[in-house]
Amino acid sequence: MPIRAVILTLLIIFAGFVLEHLPMPELLSWLQPLWLLLLLSILVLHAPQHFGLWLAIPLGLMLDVENHQLLGLNVLTLGTHIVLLQLLYRRLIMFHFLQLTAVMMLLVVVHQVLQFWAVALVSENRTPVAIWEPALVSGLVWPWLYALMHLGMKRLHLA
Amino acid sequence: MPAYQPQRLAALTVVALLLMWTDSRYDWGQPLRYGIGYVLAPAQQTALVPQLVGRWFGASAITREQLQIENQQLQARNLVLELRSQRLAALESENTELRELLSASEQVDDRVLVASVVAVDPDPFSQQILVNKGGEDGVFIGQPVLDAYGLLGQVIDVMPFTARVLMIADPNHAIPVQVNRNGVRAIAVGTGSLTELELIYVPATADIVPGDLLVSSGLGERYPRGYPVATVTAVENIPGQSFAKVLAEPSAQLDRSRHLLLVFRKGAGRVPPETLWRRD
Repeated sequence: MPIRAVILTLLIIFAGFVLEHLPMPELLSWLQPLWLLLLLSILVLHAPQHFGLWLAIPLGLMLDVENHQLLGLNVLTLGTHIVLLQLLYRRLIMFHFLQLTAVMMLLVVVHQVLQFWAVALVSENRTPVAIWEPALVSGLVWPWLYALMHLGMKRLHLA
Repeated sequence: MPAYQPQRLAALTVVALLLMWTDSRYDWGQPLRYGIGYVLAPAQQTALVPQLVGRWFGASAITREQLQIENQQLQARNLVLELRSQRLAALESENTELRELLSASEQVDDRVLVASVVAVDPDPFSQQILVNKGGEDGVFIGQPVLDAYGLLGQVIDVMPFTARVLMIADPNHAIPVQVNRNGVRAIAVGTGSLTELELIYVPATADIVPGDLLVSSGLGERYPRGYPVATVTAVENIPGQSFAKVLAEPSAQLDRSRHLLLVFRKGAGRVPPETLWRRD
């Protein structure tokens, strides 16, 4: 992997955590997309040979600490997300961006439902998890983010 | 898809579930969380830049006239507070003497660390905030947090430079309280709304009326005793039920306070002397 790609990857991950932590007005808190999940999807779709299941471990643990969730929760959900992306990879790269948006919304729903189930399975905490709002917002953000990142990677000859 | 990927995912799932189960029951993961906090700190600080720039612009845009008005208001308020603190000092001294007479071992000289709110948790189902003091400042898990008006919550997670505070309005939070007027004890739990707490297991015959001030009772040894928690807003006796429904409004300004006080009690944690001041 060229050094430029490594730096860009680290910058993308850094940007993902900055966006995750970005303070939002209380009324708009429902409209927070799952930034890190979206950026992780872009990495996996652009370079599936480099970004695999291993990425779920450091990013998942960092996201657990960032969101004060149980350690391992996001390792599980991000790992499942990566495997689903790898499973659908050949179809996804052929999809129209609207179809891709729909798939991404569905994957976010799966991610959120998995979070709720996993927490319910190992602890007695039944804190509700927002499902549809993050899926909708993430789906709406996805085409723009994907296009922007794709353009940036092409400019840097990394696509 | 790479070979053996489903098997790898299955192994990862088992490890992740074990890790979650352990983390939900024991605090072995706390050093790991603290270490990851160092890695996350640059991203967290960067995320606050727009907010800081906005505040700086806001502060720069204040006119001379506004500053003069604010100054006058603060001077007037200062005068009132000084008057009250003189009375409080006398009362505190009298209280200490009485406690000594009774040989009470209760600690009355709480010390505090001033912190600022830097972020509000975006999760709409929880009421948590982040403050700009962390483990490096001596903050510890379970530390009580107050604002200028009353008890706000407690620290539930400590990172090197920030700490996460669970507010009393969170549905997972409960605090033992007592009515300031007559000492009736109860437990105030969060409802998820920043303007409402509910008192649970209050007998229908309990002497609680709207307007009563609820203060922390100190039971459970998590919160210091005697700090304002909420004011009773409604008491409803439901026929046939042995418990009354009592609602209260938090004294702390949960949605507005920017500066908070982290309370230290003797022996409760490391206290950096240069950043602390004594409550007189």
